[in-house]
Amino acid sequence: MATLLAPAGSLDALTAALEAGADAVYVGLKGFSRGGARGELDWDELSRAAELAAARGAEVQVALNTIPKPRERAELLDQIPRAMALGIRTLIVNDVGILVALARRYSELRLTASIGCGAQSEADVAFFKQIGAAAVVLPGTLGPTEAAACCRVGGISVEIMLHMVEEFVLLGKCWMPSYVHLKPTPMPGEANGARRQTGSMKRGGVGACFKICQQPWLLEDGDGIREEQMFPSRQLSRIAEVAPYLEAGVAALKLQGRSLPAELLGPLVGRYRRAIDAAVTGAPAPEVSAPALPASWTVVGR
Amino acid sequence: MRIVRDQGKRAYLTTYAAPRNDFLPRVRKALEIAATGGAEAVEVHNLGILKIAHDEVPALPAHVGGFANVYTDAGAEVLKGFGATRITPNYELQLEEIDQIARDSGIAMELLVHGKMPLGISDYCFLLEYEDKWGIKCPDLCQKDLFLRKDGWGMKSVGKGVLSGKDVCMLEHLPRLIAGGHRAFRIEAVSESPAYRREVAAVYREALGCALSGEYRQRERWWEAVRKHSRLGLCNGFYFGKSGMDYLGARP
Repeated sequence: MATLLAPAGSLDALTAALEAGADAVYVGLKGFSRGGARGELDWDELSRAAELAAARGAEVQVALNTIPKPRERAELLDQIPRAMALGIRTLIVNDVGILVALARRYSELRLTASIGCGAQSEADVAFFKQIGAAAVVLPGTLGPTEAAACCRVGGISVEIMLHMVEEFVLLGKCWMPSYVHLKPTPMPGEANGARRQTGSMKRGGVGACFKICQQPWLLEDGDGIREEQMFPSRQLSRIAEVAPYLEAGVAALKLQGRSLPAELLGPLVGRYRRAIDAAVTGAPAPEVSAPALPASWTVVGR
Repeated sequence: MRIVRDQGKRAYLTTYAAPRNDFLPRVRKALEIAATGGAEAVEVHNLGILKIAHDEVPALPAHVGGFANVYTDAGAEVLKGFGATRITPNYELQLEEIDQIARDSGIAMELLVHGKMPLGISDYCFLLEYEDKWGIKCPDLCQKDLFLRKDGWGMKSVGKGVLSGKDVCMLEHLPRLIAGGHRAFRIEAVSESPAYRREVAAVYREALGCALSGEYRQRERWWEAVRKHSRLGLCNGFYFGKSGMDYLGARP
């Protein structure tokens, strides 16, 4: 049975996701998760999140999806036992270096190559299998047929981001914001000198994007201004194709949205819970009214 | 490759940065031809293609491109295990970080020294929306010099890709790159004219010779050439820890 994997940026959101039927919830850990609009949990909150999930027979996964610099990498590796002591067994990572380092040091961990790793093909899936990933997240832009080919690689679980913002630039392949403005700033609440690389989504510490892609641009050539242009961006939902994805062998149906408040996240998770349950029993897919989230979600963050 | 090799030059095969399954047969065919046709190496931006190259044409060296997101020595080490012999680290890295990756991994770094820095890549070409409106069809559309401008800064659009509006220029910093032990330098000219390629390459050929000789003296005609081809100005990318569009040095 496929897992419904929901996001949570706060304990309220985590509670809402669990109550709505999530089998597992992924959260960010402050300092090592892409921040910005996304909520991140501190250690006390992570401990409480693990308790809340365990009480419902659900799992908490931790997204460590920045690329730490060498000094920060050592600090991160040293903190893993603390997470494991809370019962955390699945980490979502964004870099092949950190994935292999974690796999070598903590064989009991289950490591997921995040959507930011950019896997889009069966060859990518095979690569991540070879370096020790237990799972890989594919974007919902891949349909069930492509997902099925990726599942046939075998020996690695394929997860699909079934509900996401599809931005113009591919996830993990953008450094437009830092081209315009890169500014190290102190990370709130951190006394040890940790800094956010504002503008960079991926660099050590916490990357925070300020979404220049969501602003209107003037498109001009040598003759002057031709158009006012915005990069295309849309809310992508594959809820109508839950059954084909399950038939394809996808192990987890994942939702994007660590920035979502509990009052939006709960209904979103519930909608996918019902769709999965219907698909599993062979019942018709429930009627849904689109979109699931306000249009502004594509602008304010995921 | 024959044309290039007949001129005594080295030919390289570059490959897709974000291929889907249906592109893989084409990639495999290209790799096979490159391996048998005498390519020096294959440039790989995608980890799946790196694995294919390593498994199926292991004798062909792999040069990892900037979209592969190598940010650390640990990442470089992993790709070394898949046959990577040269790496363009992610463009966001500073020179000190690049030096360290080279030292710690023992892999040669390839550095962008001039041209428009890749900033993002897409599955989708939004310029296609203008085919009918402008009366220009693909592929002529993205061959136009199209810039996205806002508040005094800009980026260049090539349809599915976004490049820096300014040209990265490391002309006055070449001795620093040489001192860092680097020997592989790239002029990014994917969207540029033959004149740009010819004249900018000539400048850097001469400047590199000069820098390697240990007596580096910049020529005014070098600057005239690079400025002539730079519509929105020059920058240093991220090499000095600044925003990518900033320029640090005596010359703008």
